[in-house]
Amino acid sequence: MLNYVWIGLVLIGVLAAAGSDIYDASSNRYRNGEQFELQYDSTNASAGRVSLTREYFNKFYGVAIESPDTLNFPATLTGNSLKITTDDNSPELWRTVAKTDDNSNQIIAKVEARRGSELTILLPTTSLVKTKAVLDAVISYSELAVKIALGLIGVMAFWLGIMKLAEDSGMIKIIARVMKPVMVRVFPDVPPDHPAIGAMIMNIAANMLGLNNAATPLGLKAMDELDKLNPNKGTATNAMVTFLAINTAGLTLIPATAIAIRAAVGSKDPTIILLTSFFGAGLATIAGILAAKLLQRLKVYRISEPPGESEGGASK
Amino acid sequence: MIKQILEALSIIAIPLIVAAFVAYAAKKKVPVYESFVAGAKGGFEVAIKIIPYLVAMLVAIGIFRASGAMEILVSALSPVARLIGMPPEALPMALLRPLSGSGSLGLMADIMKKYGPDSFTGILVSTMYGSSETTFYVLAVYFGAVNVYRTRHAVAAGLIADAVGMLGALFICRILFG
Repeated sequence: MLNYVWIGLVLIGVLAAAGSDIYDASSNRYRNGEQFELQYDSTNASAGRVSLTREYFNKFYGVAIESPDTLNFPATLTGNSLKITTDDNSPELWRTVAKTDDNSNQIIAKVEARRGSELTILLPTTSLVKTKAVLDAVISYSELAVKIALGLIGVMAFWLGIMKLAEDSGMIKIIARVMKPVMVRVFPDVPPDHPAIGAMIMNIAANMLGLNNAATPLGLKAMDELDKLNPNKGTATNAMVTFLAINTAGLTLIPATAIAIRAAVGSKDPTIILLTSFFGAGLATIAGILAAKLLQRLKVYRISEPPGESEGGASK
Repeated sequence: MIKQILEALSIIAIPLIVAAFVAYAAKKKVPVYESFVAGAKGGFEVAIKIIPYLVAMLVAIGIFRASGAMEILVSALSPVARLIGMPPEALPMALLRPLSGSGSLGLMADIMKKYGPDSFTGILVSTMYGSSETTFYVLAVYFGAVNVYRTRHAVAAGLIADAVGMLGALFICRILFG
């Protein structure tokens, strides 16, 4: 199924980008090649501000932005090149023009005529906006993936070291024993004293406490242990899927990130979501476990390629 | 009060666990340093192993997000959202949450800035954020670490969990704050 999701994301993405660019081009959304008029007031030799009315902007682009009444941008004028700086509050159209033009927040326009402070300019030709964005995404997300993976090395090494200690000392078995009644029900295919159980418990505990740095390494350790019980390498086992379903539900006692953002944007009661998100994630966890248990019986999800001799976990 | 206890717990948990594990290993006469290093050796390997899986997943999600397909999907699904009592502004959050952690974080902040963190929509989107994990990231990383590419029902189970989490968030928020 991951195959289909992957194909879907890539193809829908590329097609939507192409479609949106074709539509933009046919309606000349960015008014390429049309002259634009605005007011330029210099504060010193090269720097100044440009301003125009909202009405003019709306009429020019055929849009309906609602505020402010006068649009104002810092700008520099050198020769017949006008550099307009946009920011997060600028109209989206101009932000897109700036971004697509040279991947910054500046629009470099050509001055066609000048009468006192009145400028007639030609904005840079803007086309293939979404396609360029897709191209940028491919590169930046590839880099992000490597950055995330490399960033894991340190904490990963640390927790694998600690887990090895716990294994060698037998600590992991003690942890496993404490939760045995629950774990044998949720993970019937895993022997109750297997190190995988201990690692899974530690991962779930770390998630509950919001220790994200520890949760991922512990979870990967648990996956490694589960894979030792896997007769079909490369194919997920029932236990792995159940474990992942628990992880994707993300049950946590303190949703620290959400609370921090709430506080940052000025909430009077940032922790009001403690109960609600515990409820939501709790339901998600239960649903995930049940879904994993029910779906593993479906024919399409049975392990289709038995190894040398048929092990047939789900087919009995 | 409970919150303070939990916060304190999450701070002392790691030092406590580490100390307990080391002490117990020492008591059991395990060569602590040697054993730690032997385990830690695997860290690099695991991190490198997940790179191809993570690249594949994040690039596909990146393409999807950059293309604007999300906006199209949101406008197509808005009537459905309205039908179940979800403000359409919160719909992008429900759709983006399983795909992108940083994306949904930014979106949550934007929505709360626009509608106010203590408005119904603000509470709902932050509850939604807290009610789920970034499913596709978890899938890529966890399965990548053990080279599993035939994931069977993992995507379906993960997405069902997400859908229930989002609907659960909506349900409880409507009861308590709606």
